Amino acid sequence: MAKILMQGCEAIAEAAVRGGCRFFAGYPITPQNEIPEYLSSRLLEVGGAYVQGESEVASVNMVYGASAGGARAMTSSSGPGISLKAEGISYLVSASLPAFIVNVSRGGPGLGSIQPAQQDYLQATKALGHGGFKLMVFAPATIQEAVDLAYDAFEYAERDKRPVFMLIDGCLGAIMEQVELPPMKEVTGKETMKINLRRYEDETRGPRTITPIYPEIILENLNKQDVKLYDSWAENDVKVEEFMLEDAEYVVCAYGIAARVAKEAIINLRQEGYKIGMIRPITLNPFPKKSFEKLNYEQVKGIVDIELAIPAQMRDDIALGVKERAPIYEYGRCGGILLDDSDTYNAIKKIIDGGNA
Amino acid sequence: MKKAIVISGSGGQGVMSMGIMLAQTAVAQDKCATYLPEYGPEQRGGSAKCTVVIDDVDIISPLVKNCDIFLALNEQGYKSFINNMAAGGVLIYNSSRVTSKIARTDITAVAVPADEIANSIESPKAANIVMLGALIEKTGIVSLEAFSAHLEQKFASKKPIVMEKNRLALQKGIECAKK
Repeated sequence: MAKILMQGCEAIAEAAVRGGCRFFAGYPITPQNEIPEYLSSRLLEVGGAYVQGESEVASVNMVYGASAGGARAMTSSSGPGISLKAEGISYLVSASLPAFIVNVSRGGPGLGSIQPAQQDYLQATKALGHGGFKLMVFAPATIQEAVDLAYDAFEYAERDKRPVFMLIDGCLGAIMEQVELPPMKEVTGKETMKINLRRYEDETRGPRTITPIYPEIILENLNKQDVKLYDSWAENDVKVEEFMLEDAEYVVCAYGIAARVAKEAIINLRQEGYKIGMIRPITLNPFPKKSFEKLNYEQVKGIVDIELAIPAQMRDDIALGVKERAPIYEYGRCGGILLDDSDTYNAIKKIIDGGNA
Repeated sequence: MKKAIVISGSGGQGVMSMGIMLAQTAVAQDKCATYLPEYGPEQRGGSAKCTVVIDDVDIISPLVKNCDIFLALNEQGYKSFINNMAAGGVLIYNSSRVTSKIARTDITAVAVPADEIANSIESPKAANIVMLGALIEKTGIVSLEAFSAHLEQKFASKKPIVMEKNRLALQKGIECAKK
């Protein structure tokens, strides 16, 4: 299929539709508006339904209802709106309902700025809502990667009976670049419904999707299931790009748009003889901890965490893999100010030459 | 060869359309392209900027500090980004609106009175196409054939007069850059 030029948000929306999305509810917020805008007409073409809810809270709860009713359901927002959806996301998890949720993130905290940032890493990976659950978090770096991940999001969501989350920055949401779109998946509502209403394979009682309160022992068991789920993710579902690590003395860690800027800098530094590579998490949950564990620390002199966030938010996850065997430096911009190729190149060079940022 | 083009002006001047048209034309020519819009919350009149990167291979970083080609559509846009041009770059500025003296001597500067030209053909909205005509003539960043084909496609559903005016605007821009 020919490649076409497509905007990030619209490409994600189209990929979700091709992946079976038939219901969307959302509420406007920059820089994710192109997702609902696109789906408002697109979903009708495929017999789906689109609702602009009266609020973020209403929208996420409509997704809850649609998912319980058997639809592949999606919502999207940006940081402040995701905070509002937190309660609903936690409820989706407690009801074991699949969904696809996208955060096209902007500067924060608070209302922040409408410009791109990566300041929602901690929210996405550690606390998308109360109750201490995790979602699988995709963090694509190109529009093509975003398309491929969005296309399969519902497969993971239905396998795990849990929402799948995508975290992209407003920059990738707004950029247009070439993509090849996958074919339309054949998904009927009925099949999806069967999956959504069956919490566990061995469940004998009837479906229950509204879960205001659980007996303590059932709730504990539900949480125990999560341990197995997270272990299985760490074992089977980590997606990571390892770039030029073989002889690397310095290893950059970056995701999303920051990784693309960093990669350009790395290629340029390599030409000057710097031995430098990169670990790029594609899944933030599960985090590619093993990529850091297996580095040869006789050779690696430092890790450089580059993000559109100050302080860097991924650092703690990196540290769990590095285990104090090398210093972790960080460089970034935030609040809506973007990284650029030249400043990033200079920052990495300064860290390597001077040992600090 | 990777080339970064920055276009800046104010909302309503067609900055984003220019960027998208360039990127789409490059893709039609089997090149790789990224287009990044940057603007504030204003619907009209706020500052508008976009960055287009064109290369023969996949583009790694769509974010660049210094551009090779800069199209300045108004004074504010010019002032904001003139110092983010790489030495040896090409500046094409709308001399109907950019009033500053061009101080940089390490770049090629091309003055295009885009608004005057567009007004002279009674199509003030086509000033952006005048600028693109000059860009194509001066840099060959995309081919004239491919861009013309894209333009025809873009305005296919409009009245024939719209296409005629844009074709004329493109031609005027090319002529202006030849001088």
